[in-house]
Amino acid sequence: MIIEIENLRKTYKDVVAVDDLSFKVKEGELFAFLGVNGAGKSTTINIISGILKKDGGTVKVFGEDIDGKTEGIKSKLGMVFQNSVLDKRLSVYDNMKSRAALYGIFGKDFNVRFDELDGLLGLKDIMKRPVCKLSGGQRRRADIARALIHKPELLILDEPTTGLDPQTRQAVWKVIDDLRKTRGLTVFLTTHYMEEAAVADYVVILDSGRKAAEGTPHDLKTAYATDIIRIYSHLDEAEGLFSSNGAAVRRERDHIDVCVKGTAAATDFIVKNPDLFDDYEVLKGDMDSVFLSVTGKNIREA
Amino acid sequence: MELKKLWALVRRNMKCYFKDKFLFLVSLITPMILLVLFITFLRSVYLDSFRDILAKFGFTAPDKLLDGLAGSWLLSSVVSVCAVTVAICSNAVMIQDKIEGSINDLRTSPVRDTTLSVSYFIANFLVTLIVMLAVIAVGFVYLAAVGWYIPFEDVLMILLDTLCCVLFGTLLAGVIESFISTQGAISAVSTLVSSLYGFICGAYMPLSQFANGVKDFICVLPGTYSVGIMRKHFMGGYVDKLAELGLPAEGQKAILDGFDGNIYVGSVQMPLWSMYVILLGTCALLLVAYITIVVVRNRKHTAKRAA
Repeated sequence: MIIEIENLRKTYKDVVAVDDLSFKVKEGELFAFLGVNGAGKSTTINIISGILKKDGGTVKVFGEDIDGKTEGIKSKLGMVFQNSVLDKRLSVYDNMKSRAALYGIFGKDFNVRFDELDGLLGLKDIMKRPVCKLSGGQRRRADIARALIHKPELLILDEPTTGLDPQTRQAVWKVIDDLRKTRGLTVFLTTHYMEEAAVADYVVILDSGRKAAEGTPHDLKTAYATDIIRIYSHLDEAEGLFSSNGAAVRRERDHIDVCVKGTAAATDFIVKNPDLFDDYEVLKGDMDSVFLSVTGKNIREA
Repeated sequence: MELKKLWALVRRNMKCYFKDKFLFLVSLITPMILLVLFITFLRSVYLDSFRDILAKFGFTAPDKLLDGLAGSWLLSSVVSVCAVTVAICSNAVMIQDKIEGSINDLRTSPVRDTTLSVSYFIANFLVTLIVMLAVIAVGFVYLAAVGWYIPFEDVLMILLDTLCCVLFGTLLAGVIESFISTQGAISAVSTLVSSLYGFICGAYMPLSQFANGVKDFICVLPGTYSVGIMRKHFMGGYVDKLAELGLPAEGQKAILDGFDGNIYVGSVQMPLWSMYVILLGTCALLLVAYITIVVVRNRKHTAKRAA
């Protein structure tokens, strides 16, 4: 296991940020941590990375307790923060050089590593520019390069693509996917984007500092998601029938959506009312639906 | 290896300061104020005062000597005050790291908290020293142009005094700014110190011109003695030259008393060694306070949530 957390607890004065949280992250997996703002995601990753001290519980990273010496853990851990934390007035190159030195990477070793990162993230075109003059996407590239400067085994990403345009998001994920494939990098991700969580190997949903649900995206969808039958014909009859049965129905211009609990319930509806189903499709519940069912909150609105 | 990391952090902190033009300019507010005051009226006021004092002893001195004396008085003020104001502004890098979250990034790397804290202190010391040496160099060029009467031993003593003043300023900044973690607070402290410190250590006006109560208060503050040692070594050569030209001892004393070449607590004249003892003793106390703060902070590890 790369990360083992048991009964983690952290409070800020009277506010309980993380309460009795336990989970494990396996080597090489993409682990997603979901929760609205204030759910305790950043607090947890700040504890894992040694920025914050915990109040209770145990946290082991790479098998080492974070209460002991953390230099060994930190040398294998890279972190991309929610907001860029590079030195705004220094150039990208100077930022990389000063951060690399903290991992004992100097001189020629640094130049070699910088060239490797340039190949991965395309840094040469921005290397001389101050970080404060970079666009959001360029800054993210620099942030990721900084997190990878020492070839970490665990990469922690705190909402890495928030505020980025779709093209840049895709580019960021391509880099991360490549690293996972080529180097077996373990990725710990917090995100607001359900499509990012949907491709994770394992997901933990956090609500008010407590674990609300966990599992693979498939397990979570099976357990919590609501499927939708989208019907394109016999709209009036279908709407009347399903409404009278107490199902949640939403009428759109050319179709109606009927919410059903799982694929079995959808099949049951179709089998019992074959006349209505000339033109239809069954949509599998997504992670948005899972999140809503588990927490009662819509992550896009939170 | 930890030493190499420390040096990398020191270089990074220094770069952050010198690349921040606003911070750099704010830290030079004090010398600029003094320069403007000097050019607009202080120079002529002090030249008139020198001439009045000398006239009482029936003595006239060459303009070159008096111009140099006024310039050396100004430069001693600038150097002793800037050692504190520049240190306060330069130390803002540490606070900006807290505000912008860079400190969290540094803390995720395998560097000891103590190394981080020490790096801020060393960087602040070096930045302040570099700025001070630049100011002194410019000042020496000016004095050479108007009239140079500073013996080589005093030049060396001025450099030693600068080291003492920079150490004092760096430690003072370290202690004061340990409690600051917002942009508003650092702006307020930088502006207040930059504009007020010169008054409360007798750098803008000679102590003899203050009312007795205010003068007594200023003499309690250790910063006064950083100005005092500077005055001794900047002005000493000029007064010696006046003596060489025939100014009697009373006249020399009048010049030194009137322009803080001699500092009195009550009626007791403070010897030079006592000023060093007070200044370095204060440095020792500030160092103890700084180390205590750093140790307690690191033990608590109270870093706030990442930005």
